Amino acid sequence: MSVFWFVLGRPADFESMASSKKVITREEWEKKLNDVKIRKEDMNKLVMNFLVTEGYVDAAEKFRLESGTEPDIDLATITDRMAVKKAVQCGNVEDAIEKVNDLNPEILDTNPQLFFHLQQQRLIELIRNGKVAEALEFAQEELAPRGEENKSFLEELERTVALLAFDDVKNCPVGDLLDISQRLKTASEVNAAILTSQSHEKDPKLPSLLKMLVWAQNSLDEKAAYPRINDVSTATLEDPAI
Amino acid sequence: MPTPASASAAPASWTSASYQSRTVAEELIGRLSSNSVSCEAKLKALRDLKNQIIGNRTKKLSFLKLGAVPCVVSILSSATTAAVAAGGNDGLESTIIQSAAVIGSFACGFDAGVEAVLQAGALQILLSLISYPNEKVVDAVARSLKLIYQSKLGPKYDCLKSIEFLLSLLNSENENVSGLGASIIAHSCQSSMEQNALGDAGVISKLINLLGGSPIQKDSSLESLAAILKENSEVILKFVGPENGPALNVVTELTKDKHPRTRLLACSCLIVIRNALPSYLQDVRIKTKLVLVLLELLDVPGQVGDESPFVLSSLIVGKEDMQKLAFQEHAIDKLCSHLEKGSLQPKHIEGIFLALADMCSQLESCRTRLLSLKALKFVTDSMNHDCAEVRAAACICLGNVSRSVENLSAGTFANEAVINPLVQLLSDTSTSVQVASIKAISNIVLDFTLQKSTVIKCGALKQLVELSKSMDSTIRANAVCALRNLTFLVSDRCKEELLLELTQSTLLSLVSDPEPSVQEQALALIRNLVDGSIDSIEHVFAEDSVILHAVIRQMQNASKVEVLIQGMYILTNVASGNELHKEAVMNQLFPEQLGSTQSIVFKSLQSSDSRLRTVAAWALVNLTLPSSSGALKRVTRLRMAGIDSYLKNVINDPCLDVKLRARTALTQMMAFGDGSS
Repeated sequence: MSVFWFVLGRPADFESMASSKKVITREEWEKKLNDVKIRKEDMNKLVMNFLVTEGYVDAAEKFRLESGTEPDIDLATITDRMAVKKAVQCGNVEDAIEKVNDLNPEILDTNPQLFFHLQQQRLIELIRNGKVAEALEFAQEELAPRGEENKSFLEELERTVALLAFDDVKNCPVGDLLDISQRLKTASEVNAAILTSQSHEKDPKLPSLLKMLVWAQNSLDEKAAYPRINDVSTATLEDPAI
Repeated sequence: MPTPASASAAPASWTSASYQSRTVAEELIGRLSSNSVSCEAKLKALRDLKNQIIGNRTKKLSFLKLGAVPCVVSILSSATTAAVAAGGNDGLESTIIQSAAVIGSFACGFDAGVEAVLQAGALQILLSLISYPNEKVVDAVARSLKLIYQSKLGPKYDCLKSIEFLLSLLNSENENVSGLGASIIAHSCQSSMEQNALGDAGVISKLINLLGGSPIQKDSSLESLAAILKENSEVILKFVGPENGPALNVVTELTKDKHPRTRLLACSCLIVIRNALPSYLQDVRIKTKLVLVLLELLDVPGQVGDESPFVLSSLIVGKEDMQKLAFQEHAIDKLCSHLEKGSLQPKHIEGIFLALADMCSQLESCRTRLLSLKALKFVTDSMNHDCAEVRAAACICLGNVSRSVENLSAGTFANEAVINPLVQLLSDTSTSVQVASIKAISNIVLDFTLQKSTVIKCGALKQLVELSKSMDSTIRANAVCALRNLTFLVSDRCKEELLLELTQSTLLSLVSDPEPSVQEQALALIRNLVDGSIDSIEHVFAEDSVILHAVIRQMQNASKVEVLIQGMYILTNVASGNELHKEAVMNQLFPEQLGSTQSIVFKSLQSSDSRLRTVAAWALVNLTLPSSSGALKRVTRLRMAGIDSYLKNVINDPCLDVKLRARTALTQMMAFGDGSS
């Protein structure tokens, strides 16, 4: 008897579950959103934080003048930081190192890994330009002692020096080191280290805010149907599917 | 297909390259020290030097050898004088900035560099520039000073004399300058007098303010707070007091900070508070949090990961509840899995072994877990490590793991793979490694013959005997302790063997050692030696009882109660022997020329140390044993010396052992009459 009841009871349960999900109409939703107050200054700060962290110095300067938002960092240091980043991206690693040392000599002295990666990038550039003798000398003089200090550096050094052993470097097993992405990787490592030394966040706040929005929507999906933002770049509210 | 092997063909160019770079270096130093070079050229040379040495220890060393440091300091000195005289000058200020940067780099992570910088007198010049009107100069100077003070070789700043100056640094708007103030405190504040003085001067509230600053300020503030609060409950009470608001909560929150270094320093700070004032931070959630954060920080590469096991160790050392908690959070597994990864920095391995040692110091569950993870292999492997600190830490770890009676009896440590490397370390060049290995051996040989014989087979006996003659009293005491443990409950043959190696004369000189800790161990060794068969008691009677006389002499002059206790045990053991033995003890305790002076055994009965009272009563039990033929004679002698009143004083002793034995002795004496007639 009770088993029979249980089987019969199931569809009813499903129905009640489906109907327990609350539906919020666009009107209601927009009304709720209107009640949320966000200060203009706060939004400006977020924008400024994005411009500063990403290194858009001209835009940041213009935005400062137009909105009156003060950046939390000396804008001149962004120019310096961007110059370093650009130098690495163009393969002028020596130049980049000198610039970092002018900015703050502590960065490379206290960051052996970053220093090694910059020196490694220098070696890669020498190899890229076919300066074999110079590359070997540089590896011996500058990089080998670092390898002695740290095993993982030694492995990376061996991988890099291996480039010299192949005729067709582009298609050799370690060819990825010559890739432009290697430069970008090194450049972003320097960028992050400079930001940290300036007591600034490595990442802008805006992306994490958007991540939080997506997460909040996903959590809310389990409880309610509501106008959702599916495309964060347009932030259009889309009607709930009922 | 070509192989990468050709890459190692480079050494041919090695000599020429280093020759070339040497001449380049010499030429650079030439430009710096020359008087005929223009200011611009000198500035360029300074910058070149800076770019050569930053991040590069090898170059720091070679430039140091060429005399670069005094050269740069003299440039800094004259540029400073000239700039101050001229009331500011761009060229001179650039020179100051570059030379300060060079000096800072020489002092960064390079001990020889710090020494050279200090010797060349850079410190005073840099300090004189700290309030210079140009902010860039101040930045450069503050950075350099901070690097000097962060080095362990950096000079201690007299916190008591210059509190005003330190406060002015902490008050600075400039992040580098306030960070410097905090670094100086972290490096220099050690005595409780300095801690109290800084606390009274309001440094704590300044540092609390800095906790809300930039990441760099947070870190340096946490570091100096730990230095000011360490083992000083008075200052800690001030820190947690109402005038500082929720300071403790702020630090607790920082254990969740995004920056790993900040998390580590916040943990250190909380542990300092907890260890000095156990009533704080008792909430199990905070305790668990600390353990979890520190275990997680093990994974952070570099300094933070290297230091985290040391901080963990300071949290759990000597605290069984914390060890239990850490065990529940899988600390043993996590620490061991790091060892498995390999290629770690020596500092990291050392810290992990020390943390494991602390975990295994009390709890059997920890030891069992460690052994089940097959981690013993890492421990024994590390006994060959290049770094002495790692070798010592491995020994300490093995020593604590081997406290496991279960595994000792199962013979887990009784194989040459474990014992051999340990015995090798007895002759290590580092004293701390020697001491650590002696202690570990000492522990392993304590209770079980299997271990004892393996240790002797590996040649430890000869080495330990040698070490018992060491000039270093710590080594001597530990070596004798190991021999003492080796003598614990062994056969008469083993004792013979040991005595043959040690010799009567060495034993005699150890009993009369100037160091009380060595005397104590030597007497304890003899106590083990005369424990057991009647034959073994004979050892103290050899050569006209020379050992027994020496023991009594030491007991009469003992400065340490432990010496008396061990000596009394020897007498008690001897008094358990035959008539001759008992009589000999009587004669030592009650010599005819004793006169009115009190016997040691009675003095011991009146001791405030219950261990000594216990063994003294025990000696009297052995001397009054009614079954032996001379008992009546001895009881009469004891009664004449006034034993009854001494025993009656202890028949209601608060220590049960004393009470029981005193009553036994009294009962035994009653067999010969109540002494009233």
